[in-house]
Amino acid sequence: MTGGWLRNNGHVTIGEELDEERRRRRRAGDPRLTPSDRELLRRLTDGDLKEEFQAALDAVSDRDPLLSDTADPDD
Amino acid sequence: MIVVDEYLALQAFRGDLPPGVPEDELLLPTSRHWRILQALHAGRGGQLSRLLSQLSETGRAAVRFPHPEMLQVLDPRPLLDDAAALAARFGNTGWLVAETLAAGRRYGSSLWFGEAANVGRLLRAAARELGVRIHVAAP
Repeated sequence: MTGGWLRNNGHVTIGEELDEERRRRRRAGDPRLTPSDRELLRRLTDGDLKEEFQAALDAVSDRDPLLSDTADPDD
Repeated sequence: MIVVDEYLALQAFRGDLPPGVPEDELLLPTSRHWRILQALHAGRGGQLSRLLSQLSETGRAAVRFPHPEMLQVLDPRPLLDDAAALAARFGNTGWLVAETLAAGRRYGSSLWFGEAANVGRLLRAAARELGVRIHVAAP
């Protein structure tokens, strides 16, 4: 095996290179999102729409007896 | 692999996770993806649905069908039995809480949230009893 496969003499293994490449892609985010998509998602999770987002998630649970914790087991 | 909530899922799509969240594969319980999708597809009422309708077609696809490198939606089948047992144990918790707890137990006894309000009292209490650690990673 070559130094590319084994961590020795300070070499980075192929597995580590692949992991780092995966991390780089993750940090870049999904390329299908446009800049305005990203901005909208940012507003939902840590901007002015955060409360709205939480309310929408809670509303889905409230409407759905299977999801919520208020299901009547006799239903 | 770590189990995350809806907030961290959306942040993962942007590639912008808060500090402290491990750079690991992210797993989203099906019930939590379902809640995002319900908001995305709701055709009437609600400011959020109107806002989400502003997503581009490709942006909607990213949320509907996450790329597994960004986020994996968990297959619920292997979790069903444990989730059902947990639901019964904690007084018919509902699928959201039961599946999230079962996922947390299976993957590192941890759950990661992007917002404290999204944890919920029942989930928090049950997690404490089960020894599942809850992490809230604020942006």
